[in-house]
Amino acid sequence: MSKVKTHKVIGLHSTLLSLVLFLFFILLSNQFEPYNQSQLANIAMLLIAVLSITLLTGASGQISLGQGAIMAVGGYSSALLVTRLGLSMWLAFILAIFVSALFGLFLGLAAARLSGPYLAGTTLVMALAIPSIAVRFETFFSGDVGLSVDYGMPPEWLTNLVGEISIEEWSLYVVLPFTAVALFAVLNLSNSRTGRTWRAVRDNEVAASLAGINIGRTKVIVFVCASGLAGLAGALYGFRGLVAPSVYPTDLSLTLLTAAVIGGLRSIGGAIFGTFVIVFLPDLIEKATSNLAIPETVGIYLPALTIGLLLLLTVILNPRGAAGALEHLRHKKKH
Amino acid sequence: MTPFLTAFFSGTAQGAIYALVSLGLVLVWRSAGVVNFAQMGQAMFTTYIASQLIQNNYSYWSAFLIAIISGAALGALVDLGLMRPLTSRKNSQLLNSQSMRTTIPVIASLGILGVLKALAGIFWAGEERGFPSPVAPNAIKIGDTSLAITGFDLFVIGTVFLTLVLTTIFFTKTGMGLAMRASALNPEVTRLSGIKVGWVRTLGWAISGIASSLAGLLVTPRTNLSPNTLDLLLIIGFTAAVVGGLSSLAGSVLGGFILGYVISFVNVYSAPENVFIAILAFLLLALFLRPQGILGSKEVRSV
Repeated sequence: MSKVKTHKVIGLHSTLLSLVLFLFFILLSNQFEPYNQSQLANIAMLLIAVLSITLLTGASGQISLGQGAIMAVGGYSSALLVTRLGLSMWLAFILAIFVSALFGLFLGLAAARLSGPYLAGTTLVMALAIPSIAVRFETFFSGDVGLSVDYGMPPEWLTNLVGEISIEEWSLYVVLPFTAVALFAVLNLSNSRTGRTWRAVRDNEVAASLAGINIGRTKVIVFVCASGLAGLAGALYGFRGLVAPSVYPTDLSLTLLTAAVIGGLRSIGGAIFGTFVIVFLPDLIEKATSNLAIPETVGIYLPALTIGLLLLLTVILNPRGAAGALEHLRHKKKH
Repeated sequence: MTPFLTAFFSGTAQGAIYALVSLGLVLVWRSAGVVNFAQMGQAMFTTYIASQLIQNNYSYWSAFLIAIISGAALGALVDLGLMRPLTSRKNSQLLNSQSMRTTIPVIASLGILGVLKALAGIFWAGEERGFPSPVAPNAIKIGDTSLAITGFDLFVIGTVFLTLVLTTIFFTKTGMGLAMRASALNPEVTRLSGIKVGWVRTLGWAISGIASSLAGLLVTPRTNLSPNTLDLLLIIGFTAAVVGGLSSLAGSVLGGFILGYVISFVNVYSAPENVFIAILAFLLLALFLRPQGILGSKEVRSV
């Protein structure tokens, strides 16, 4: 990440974009009921995880089906730091980034030797194995019960400033700064020399290595960055109330990947769009079908079916996702 | 019965099923260059079909046969409906990049897995149900001492053995099998010698569908059936394929049996909750020590 600072493209552009998103979320939250506010907070957290996939798969071409497991690493490390060592929540979040980045380093060292399908399979095995470690070492990780953690109450200076706020709104205020910083970092990374190096590795490893890029090292660095992001997302996600194996199931990893693909693997705007889709779609479907007499047993599977079909349609018809389609339209208009 | 023999026999029976799963994965990998993560989703779906038929008073064997046929059909459908249009879009900008050509089919197969699971939930309410076995699951007795192997275990081992023999005959003695091996080795030359490589690939998907739906039928009497039960089997099958060598059919079978013994011995001598960690550790070990697998040939990096 240090490369970003030394490079001149710490752009006005990315700063503005992050700020705009930040304000957009806050304005949106004022219009919402607590339930939707918590959904907005969910989007802000999961967006960080989806951005990690945008980095990993979109920018460097590596695939991970185990981002949910890395989220679990971040969640457990922050929850343990708070419950066992009594650290402050904020410090724990930041330390969680480092712990999961370290984890990503080990994973990356293995992954650098693996190509597409091997990497996909290995990370999928990891997604299943890591939550079971929490059950195996029950005394340390509290097993299936998990660790209860939360964002606490809003501090006094804030309530004095803006009046009483709900717990949901407070969770959004905690998460948003992290999301904005993550967005800023990813935007800068992908526009910098580092980002271009990653894309070169993605598009043609042989050509990239002939151009003097160290392929293995680059892949490991991408893994470290992406894991740090996913770990942060996992820590924020766990502090909604519980850090337990059931909070980070394998399906979470796949849902995150779906969000990144639907929006467009190579676009940060696409990541934002995809995250909105996976969080709000289940509710929208429930509302749309509430008037039809659909039995409940069928209704609970409709969101999964829709998201799966969306993923398939995207891959077949428009593998560049919503962002790619948009760009295509803009391109057409010009000519 | 000593714990060792118990672990050995149950490892053989489990390993036989893992060998089928891993064989299915390797078949598709060799013929199409895709690791099919939807494979056990397809098997789950066909096992549900069999379960439905048995509920409607069909005999076990007719349900068994229909499940196998629908497994083949589903495999062919995935290839024709999804993978073929996907790989034929060579001009797509995204597929121009090297890494994306392997990544996009993986994502597509995950999409199929999601859709199949949701459909199974909608059609069959998604609750866990039992699945019958054609032979009694009692331990076999010689005189008064009961062995650690059940009649069902023998049925599983026998069925898998028969399948493996048939597969070997298919690949070594029939023209179609030789065509499949040829097109896996060099599709361009195979096409020039007048073989329709596209259809050979579809056949690979269909045979893989048969192997995996058979695995589903054989494993569910013990594990029960739900949309998620077979996920674990995919993970184990993948690990087995990597251990044996993704490019080798014989290696995949060998890998399946090795995994069967590893899991069974961990179960008996350690604890069932260690199984996941054992699988992960075994996979990582295999990748570090011998990434091309036991029987796999060393991959040549394309320049």
